[in-house]
Amino acid sequence: MINIENLRLTIGGKEILHDVDMHLRPGDIYGLLGPNGAGKSSTIFALLGLRTRESGRVSVLGGDPADDAVAVRRSVGVMPEKAGFYDWMTAPDYLKWYSHFYDSESTDRDLGTMLGKVGLGKETQRPIGTYSRGMKQRLAVARALMPRPRLLILDEPTNGLDPKGRREIHDLLAEFVSDGKTGVLLCTHLLDDVDRLCNRIGIIDNGRTRLEGLIADLLAEQKIGQRYRLHLETEPDTDKLPAGIAVLGHEGGWWRVQVQVKPSEGISSLWGELLGRGWKISEIRSEASSLEELYMSHTGQDKPYSQEEVL
Amino acid sequence: MNTIWIIARKESSQMLCSQKGMIWLLTFSGLLSAFSLLLVSNTELSLLDNAQVVYMMAGTVMAVGALLAAILGSDAYAGEKERGTLVPLLCAPIAPDALLVGKILGLLIAWGVMFVASVPYLWGVGASGQNLGAALFYLALFGTPVVLGFGYLAMALSARTGSVLASLLSTVTLLMLAASPLVIGPGLRGTAIGRTMDAINPFAGALNTFDSVIIDSEPFSAQMARLLLVIVWLGLCLIAARRNATRPDFQ
Repeated sequence: MINIENLRLTIGGKEILHDVDMHLRPGDIYGLLGPNGAGKSSTIFALLGLRTRESGRVSVLGGDPADDAVAVRRSVGVMPEKAGFYDWMTAPDYLKWYSHFYDSESTDRDLGTMLGKVGLGKETQRPIGTYSRGMKQRLAVARALMPRPRLLILDEPTNGLDPKGRREIHDLLAEFVSDGKTGVLLCTHLLDDVDRLCNRIGIIDNGRTRLEGLIADLLAEQKIGQRYRLHLETEPDTDKLPAGIAVLGHEGGWWRVQVQVKPSEGISSLWGELLGRGWKISEIRSEASSLEELYMSHTGQDKPYSQEEVL
Repeated sequence: MNTIWIIARKESSQMLCSQKGMIWLLTFSGLLSAFSLLLVSNTELSLLDNAQVVYMMAGTVMAVGALLAAILGSDAYAGEKERGTLVPLLCAPIAPDALLVGKILGLLIAWGVMFVASVPYLWGVGASGQNLGAALFYLALFGTPVVLGFGYLAMALSARTGSVLASLLSTVTLLMLAASPLVIGPGLRGTAIGRTMDAINPFAGALNTFDSVIIDSEPFSAQMARLLLVIVWLGLCLIAARRNATRPDFQ
């Protein structure tokens, strides 16, 4: 659905992107990660034909946005980072007005269903100007989904949402890709969102793709596992450990372990095996996620562009 | 539904149905009421003849229309950018030309409302004379391209700078320069500088036409050079707007 090879982009004579690669297939939820000013938004704008690339290949749903951006955008639902609305309109009026651009006639029932799905079913008669930030975020998701696109591009969709709202948006996205014919490009700083939703990621730093691929493959390649702290009642026998687990160190009763390969039966089976080997575990705490380790190890290596330099 | 019309409908309803639009219309009506009263008093005292007051009223309506165009044009891209509504528009399947034409159509509707609102005032000051019809016809024919030209120019600056303030200040400054024939005396207009300004200034071209047809009752055929001037002005502003609106400053 999205294929980007060696994308290079300059704005006002400054090189913003160089060697950016991205491959999103039908059924994927792709997490585009990177620090502030890394070039994530510029990549999205290049995908939509709003920025003209210097070189490289970009294909979105089989079309080149540089040749016919309008045709590409007709099949793409976008939620930009700044979810601006006309404050004097109501949500149904706005969605109806916006969906006309996609040649999709939305009935009042369609609008009601969509607003209900994003949790705005009871707020339809109020002007958008009276909405909270979280409500505007929900409306922005509805705007992106309303034209029934083949590809969704979402920039920080769960910003400003409460945990319930986040969960609802997660469920909507999972439902959106469930038929295996659609895809989602999710640009976010929230690694928890990526952990829950994405099967594929790309990490951009300093305008360049540092890492790209299936999360499971990347974690296996990088040999980065999930870290835990275990509180043990007695000194354990560390000579014979189950496969896929390593002891990193200990302090007092707390032992830090790294699970490199999760057992197919689930992590609890590993704890069960340790208990069977005489590890008297009284408490288990998860440390930084494996994705966070992966992210941290591939960002911030070069001198980053300043916020002003990267548009 | 046609993309241009979808945008134009939003633009015009934002202008006409909002509080801002109502304040604008009330201010415009108040200004014309005060000006009409002043002109009618002058006519009653035989200080100005009927043709002169109709000419002055037509010029004022065009100047206020151009000011409206400068305000709406400056808001067209930069205002949307500042409110965060430009990126969603650019991400939708809308061709840049369609966005530009939709916005100018919205401006045209707003100018149309202003024009209609000014008719009773023109009638009020010019009903006793023979030149009311000519005033309305030439105000539509010459005033519309002048007003739309200022709208296009403001949109070009708005798309380029991404700042409402910068665009508005630049366009209003140019409008004040262009409208200076309204305030400078006939003596200065007779100098080489005044004559050059008259020859290249679309605003002066339209005013001189009002003068010719309303006061001097000259025929339409004598106005062709000035008509060409305002059409060239409109064309140049359209080119500038198209160039800048293709890649507006949106980040």
